[in-house]
Amino acid sequence: MGSWMVPTASLLGAGWFFATAIILGVLIGHWVDGKTGLEPVFTLIGIALGLAVAAVGGYRMLSPFMRWLGDNDSEQG
Amino acid sequence: MKLLKIAGIAAVVIGWLAVGLLVARGPQPEIIVPAEVITRVGPLNLTNSLITSWVVMALIIIISLLATRSMKLIPSGIQNFVEAVVAFLVGQVEEIAGEKNGRRFFMVVATIFIYIIFNNWFGLMPFFNAFGKTEDVNHHVFEEIYEHAHDDKVYEEREHHAAWFMENTAGMTVAQSGAKAVKFEILAGDSAGVATDRYIIFLAEEFTDYKGPEDHEAAPTEADVRAALAALEADPNAPKVHLADAHGDGEAHAEDSGHHAIPSAALGGDVEYIDFPGEKLGLVIPLFRSAFSDVNNTLAMGIVAFLCIEFWGFQALGFGYLKKFFNTDGIMSFVGILELLSEFIRVISFAFRLFGNVFAGEVLILMLTFLMPFLFVDIIYGLELFVGFIQAAVFAMLTLVFAVGAVEHHGEDEHHDGHEGGGADAHHPHPETGAVQAH
Repeated sequence: MGSWMVPTASLLGAGWFFATAIILGVLIGHWVDGKTGLEPVFTLIGIALGLAVAAVGGYRMLSPFMRWLGDNDSEQG
Repeated sequence: MKLLKIAGIAAVVIGWLAVGLLVARGPQPEIIVPAEVITRVGPLNLTNSLITSWVVMALIIIISLLATRSMKLIPSGIQNFVEAVVAFLVGQVEEIAGEKNGRRFFMVVATIFIYIIFNNWFGLMPFFNAFGKTEDVNHHVFEEIYEHAHDDKVYEEREHHAAWFMENTAGMTVAQSGAKAVKFEILAGDSAGVATDRYIIFLAEEFTDYKGPEDHEAAPTEADVRAALAALEADPNAPKVHLADAHGDGEAHAEDSGHHAIPSAALGGDVEYIDFPGEKLGLVIPLFRSAFSDVNNTLAMGIVAFLCIEFWGFQALGFGYLKKFFNTDGIMSFVGILELLSEFIRVISFAFRLFGNVFAGEVLILMLTFLMPFLFVDIIYGLELFVGFIQAAVFAMLTLVFAVGAVEHHGEDEHHDGHEGGGADAHHPHPETGAVQAH
């Protein structure tokens, strides 16, 4: 049971995490643009930062899953 | 014979659907995203999702008390059940986090799991979203227009009031099966007088055969409003608009009936009150609403999980825990900052995942009770039971996985040095420890 629960949680969690990171980056960037009148500078920074956070955090989130894949492979092979 | 079987199944399905559509159809749901306020306690709003979460807490406490009241060495009944659940959870947590950390994380992770699954499943009870306080929409519209008239303000943005046709039955106000939700709209830039005219025309359109002016944007003319009034007057079941009389005692009468008179731009006079001899306009504010269909509750859970994870990180590593985020290791210093940001974004993603799943399920069930009662709702109920379990498991498991990550020594991937993280597994082929063991 535990063998599938963690990978399931990682996969389901990572999808939402990617979405949240990128959307928040865009929204916050857009909001700062509105405050400073420098459109589209901060929106672009927000997108870049959101993507970077999604990549780093997503890697952390998926590493248990990748480890689980490695385990299964080594067991079968 | 096979054909007969298929025909039989089809007959049952169609019959089931027909019975559902005839007797068990819900009114067209009015989807409100923020939790509805039942009453106010001082400066605090008492919302229906808060009430539900209290009821669930009470239920969990009662069940635990019953299970632990007279504990026996060989458990039976409820004690047996609760012990099985707890033993299962302990096994799961220890398998993933190792014995030492598992015992530390267990309380929080299991509490999160039990609390969320109880809330999700309890929220599927049939009395949810079904009964509650009825809001008198007419009164509400009147009060709002009166406030605008009193302060001599125009409406700054488009506003709408949704309502169901409801009737009084045995002391309760009940929405009819399959009742249509109607919407009264006030446009931006309307004065209170124009809003009143729009309201009269809206009532005539909804309660009688009267057709309003083609152009919905323009302010209604006097002829339109008079025609609407005549149409309402002609139908005995339609609402009756009482205009203030010329003697000037209208104000006094209006005060007596609990309403304030509101001005009408087209008629040039005041509308004192509106009588509803037949169906009324009302909206049910449900007394119970699934706790996690309110983003406040999910966010609270996310913050609690976040605080626990950070606490364990500091507890295990001291201030060395911060090295993960702040270091001077070239490109890794930037990655550290990104990791710090991702810690916070986790809270938001925790909150919105749970909220999104529970709220979507609730909307789906309400919509299907209106569109396809009985048959399809049953199927979706099954799905929602599964989603409720999965979401609880995902929330708890992710908390656990992050907690395991937080107590890991930083840079363990590179140096295979000693650690206090649990999950030791001698034949494990990978150097990361304190992490997922999936056997």
